[in-house]
Amino acid sequence: MSEYRPAKLLRLHFTEQDRYRGKPLYEAIFDKCRELKIAGATVFRGIEGFGETAGIRRAHLLSRGLPVVVQIVDSEENIARLLPGIEEMMGNGLIAISDVQILRVQKGPPG
Amino acid sequence: MLAKGAAKKLTIYLNEDTQYHLSPLYEAILTFLRHKGVAGATVTRALSGFGAHRVVHTPKVEALAEHLPLKIEFVEAAEKIEELLPTLYDMVSDGLIEVQDTTIVKAARGDKPSPQPHRPHERKAGKAKLMRVFLGEDDRWNGEPLYDAIVKRLQMMDIAGATVYRGILGYGAKGHTHKQNLLHTHRDLPMMISVIDAEPKLAEAALAVEEMLADGLIVISDVDMVRLVRSGAAEPGDE
Repeated sequence: MSEYRPAKLLRLHFTEQDRYRGKPLYEAIFDKCRELKIAGATVFRGIEGFGETAGIRRAHLLSRGLPVVVQIVDSEENIARLLPGIEEMMGNGLIAISDVQILRVQKGPPG
Repeated sequence: MLAKGAAKKLTIYLNEDTQYHLSPLYEAILTFLRHKGVAGATVTRALSGFGAHRVVHTPKVEALAEHLPLKIEFVEAAEKIEELLPTLYDMVSDGLIEVQDTTIVKAARGDKPSPQPHRPHERKAGKAKLMRVFLGEDDRWNGEPLYDAIVKRLQMMDIAGATVYRGILGYGAKGHTHKQNLLHTHRDLPMMISVIDAEPKLAEAALAVEEMLADGLIVISDVDMVRLVRSGAAEPGDE
């Protein structure tokens, strides 16, 4: 078994409609992660959902405001470094943090 | 139905016209195997061949056409083969019996599930592990999409379940931003596969994924799993 190391997984739940200084909040958070050199971030769009800020949102052709989840994985220190900025950017929404074990797989090109 | 894993394959070579108590021997053997509950057996007729009698049997010569070689094959668990062998040894008066080790990869019956009366779910709770695999949509494994290859591999390993998500924006392992461009001409969007199973099975799955993944991230966390199982249905992961 390869060596897994402890890390934190941060999940941010909000909607596609949320904005921060004129651009979509998920893009702003994404840029913030890059700026702070966080190991990685992935944005997922849900197809239906509800939460604190909105009633049920379903995917229609013209629908806006579908649920968005940003998943960020990094060491505990880096997540701690990122969190204050994120909290400030997110007007409302949900932040979930879990303990995880991670393995970074990086193989050279074959041959 | 046969279980996956190690098994034995038994092959009997004989002639079409060898008799056993006034009926063809191969028919008698097949009847015996069915009676003993063997999962399946196949009789194949050869194009030509020769055996202990050093006579070539071929349909080209009319006189020899009724004396063609046959092969009976079946796969069963080792204990079952042990149980059947003495009788087969006695029955095959003229021919050859061979046993070899084999591995059953899949034994599927392909039945349509019969409509079941609605029964309440059984609730099974316990500790499990959740694995998230982060990779790119364009990642390939022997020419096919890597996420597809991983899901198929996990299914073959009888892992309880896996779900593939496509992200809309991401960066990570490779450093570059995965983003769909406006013309949708190039997309290497971020993908995530989430897999849940009990600890030992998930460790196996993680190893398999690690082997296939060239560049990506595996994230494992503890979860409480609640499974709703319809009673009577076959259950994955129960061994």
